Amino acid sequence: MTDVVKMRQIEKAFGANVVLKKVDFTLATGSIHALLGENGTGKTTLMNILTGVYTKDHGDIEINGAPATPASQQQIAFIHQELSLVNDLAVYENLYLGHELKRHGLLRRREMIATAQSFVDQIGIALDVTTMVGDLNPSYKQITEIVRALMRDAKVIIMDEPTTSLTDVEIKDVFKMMRTLQDQGVSLIFISHKLNEVLEICDTYTIMRDGVVVSSGQVTPELTEVQLSNQMVGKELANSEIYQPRPLGKPVLTLKGLTKAREFQNVDLVVHGGEIVGVTGLLGDGRSELFSAVVGATVFDAGQVLVNERPVRIRTTADIKRYGIAYLPKNRKENGIVPDLNIEENMALPILGRLSRGGLIQRGQLTATVQRYVKQINIKVADVKDVIGSLSGGNQQKVLLAKALCTNPKVVILDNPTQGVDVGAKAEIYHQIMDLAKTGISFVILTSEIGEIQQLCDRVYIMAHGEIRAELPHDAINERDIMLVATGGQLD
Amino acid sequence: MTNTQETSASKHKHRSLKGLIADYSAIFAFLILFIVAVLLKGSIFLSVSNIMNILMNNSIIGIIALGMTLVIITAGIDLAVGSQMAATGLIAMTILNATQSIFLAIVAAVFAGLVFGAITGGLISKFGVPAFIVTLGTMQIYRSVSEYYFDGGGILATGRSASAFTAIANTKLFGIIPMPMIYWFALCILISVIARRTAFGRHVYAIGSNERASFLSTINVNRVLLLVYALSGVLVALASIIEASRLGSMNSASSGSGYEMDAIAAVVIGGTSMAGGRGTILGTVFGTLTLGIINNLMNLLGVPSFLVGAIKGIIIIGALLIQRSVSKEES
Repeated sequence: MTDVVKMRQIEKAFGANVVLKKVDFTLATGSIHALLGENGTGKTTLMNILTGVYTKDHGDIEINGAPATPASQQQIAFIHQELSLVNDLAVYENLYLGHELKRHGLLRRREMIATAQSFVDQIGIALDVTTMVGDLNPSYKQITEIVRALMRDAKVIIMDEPTTSLTDVEIKDVFKMMRTLQDQGVSLIFISHKLNEVLEICDTYTIMRDGVVVSSGQVTPELTEVQLSNQMVGKELANSEIYQPRPLGKPVLTLKGLTKAREFQNVDLVVHGGEIVGVTGLLGDGRSELFSAVVGATVFDAGQVLVNERPVRIRTTADIKRYGIAYLPKNRKENGIVPDLNIEENMALPILGRLSRGGLIQRGQLTATVQRYVKQINIKVADVKDVIGSLSGGNQQKVLLAKALCTNPKVVILDNPTQGVDVGAKAEIYHQIMDLAKTGISFVILTSEIGEIQQLCDRVYIMAHGEIRAELPHDAINERDIMLVATGGQLD
Repeated sequence: MTNTQETSASKHKHRSLKGLIADYSAIFAFLILFIVAVLLKGSIFLSVSNIMNILMNNSIIGIIALGMTLVIITAGIDLAVGSQMAATGLIAMTILNATQSIFLAIVAAVFAGLVFGAITGGLISKFGVPAFIVTLGTMQIYRSVSEYYFDGGGILATGRSASAFTAIANTKLFGIIPMPMIYWFALCILISVIARRTAFGRHVYAIGSNERASFLSTINVNRVLLLVYALSGVLVALASIIEASRLGSMNSASSGSGYEMDAIAAVVIGGTSMAGGRGTILGTVFGTLTLGIINNLMNLLGVPSFLVGAIKGIIIIGALLIQRSVSKEES
């Protein structure tokens, strides 16, 4: 068997943040190769280097035995989780998007349909290319995206968590297609957290951890999910230094039977005074949707939210301040940063009214409040009146954390709070959260980082497919059980 | 980490210099036109009466443009301001003639402006209809209803309060400075303070810059949008009082016609981004003055009145292209 991709000693750093350290990666022609690792271990960066989106700092890339060129990198297709299809166009129009067949400036519609249909038939897929993409189910959208890559002559296809939003039946469709491609000599890289799927579909694997490859090899019948997840996790993180047991108060936030169609079902959850509660699971487990409904950003269909054991009606996000709830959403750029306001105003955005006297914002008070948080959570800023975009991602995240804290909340809901924050700053944030919890503030932390849960949480809820599947107390928190439940398994 | 921070810091400084030029591009545009005007028509253009004339003639558009600035900063638009001005002005005149009370006339107009604005803002925020569509509709409704009610005609200030009413806009402070200019400048300062120093004002910028993040930051986005359009409605009502007082009459068909385009042009020449999040009241003031000088200069040069629109259009597009090239370099 020859190797279609050979990456040797790849190194990459963003600023002082080293993301890849001497990574070797080999993909055999016609294989389905699993690329595994926790979030933020450099998988996506490695793939972006392979496809030429990022430039490597060091190392060699060979494609089909020759050094990689922009042209040969073009033959590697990267299919992201967010598909890039136009819902309002037919399948064949999407397949030809940007490469339409034309004569005298007019589209050759019949020819495109015929060619696309015969191409699809040839791969053995039951799909009418004149269907609107918006009418396809998620698996066929995924398949359309793959077909498009094939029509552009892709020899290697990278699939980033293609199955997270698919049902079991739909996953079978995608797998069937992957096997057909394999038979035709196309090589596939399968990025996934679902280890059972990896064992089912892949023949080789590479596991990464913190920017290095920790293991790679053949998928043999003897290989188990536990072996894979053990290698992904590595040694147990020391969790004693930050975590401190504390007396907890009465329930401050309670969810009873919260349900929203297709997103979360029948969620019961309780947070006590001063408690740090983790909610974890895989991508698409519904945790973000759940809490976005709790804070009034979206609506839920059924169930009840109780604050201090009293039912409350939160109609819009503006209501949560009244109940002492603060919320830090995930995806900083879309949901957090206001690019045209400066650092100071971004941080104090929820309390500008409170900082006003006679309608005017009290500048002195504003600056004093902001400076207090800058010092408290150690935000590296030159001038709080600079635009927010002048800060590094990690410091922007800290500004948003301060934004949640500055409302003096009783319960703080943090979704992916250490997104893009480096290790040192993470520890600072963890210490901050623990100190605040000691003063009686409760935290709900939505995260997929097990280390974060182990170091902080008194309890963790594990979600899968919109349901809470298990609950572990601090002493029982371990990655294997979490992974097992999150991937749909049962604890013994 | 220190390395990236340094580079981003210096880049930021570089950006803010460009940003400064972009922010004040309206002032540059104004200065250039001013110099051109002086060179072409020096003594007449610079005469006190001409300058006062420019300020007087543009104070009404200037006041409407203040509210329009806030609306556009939220990434919205209000096409209805022209016909809304006619409607509130007609209400003011009707009340004035009926009651002979200037106070009641003003209160009625302001209240009507507030309600009109709140309706617009409510439709946009609560039902998520694009501002362009909502105001395209309200623009026609206000105009059509006014024309129907007054049969396409107008209304004249009559009775014992008529002269006091017309004095509102036709008095000159110290015999030189027309009062509308004073009203305009006072409102500029007020709106500028609201935009820069109040929580409401900052929320307006935040919503235009990233509405989703603002919503998730517990800002009551719907309420802020409603208030912005209501505030704009009140400013339009005040402008309608000045217009009605200046002319002593209001016409259902012609009053305020096309004012929305002049107001939007003033705001945009003033450097406010149509995409929202950016803009200043100072910029809008100079945008208004730039438009005013263009009109005045073409008058002085005796440009045929049918050509005025074409030349104005060319200058507006030119001013915007210059701004765009500056802000493109910036990003």
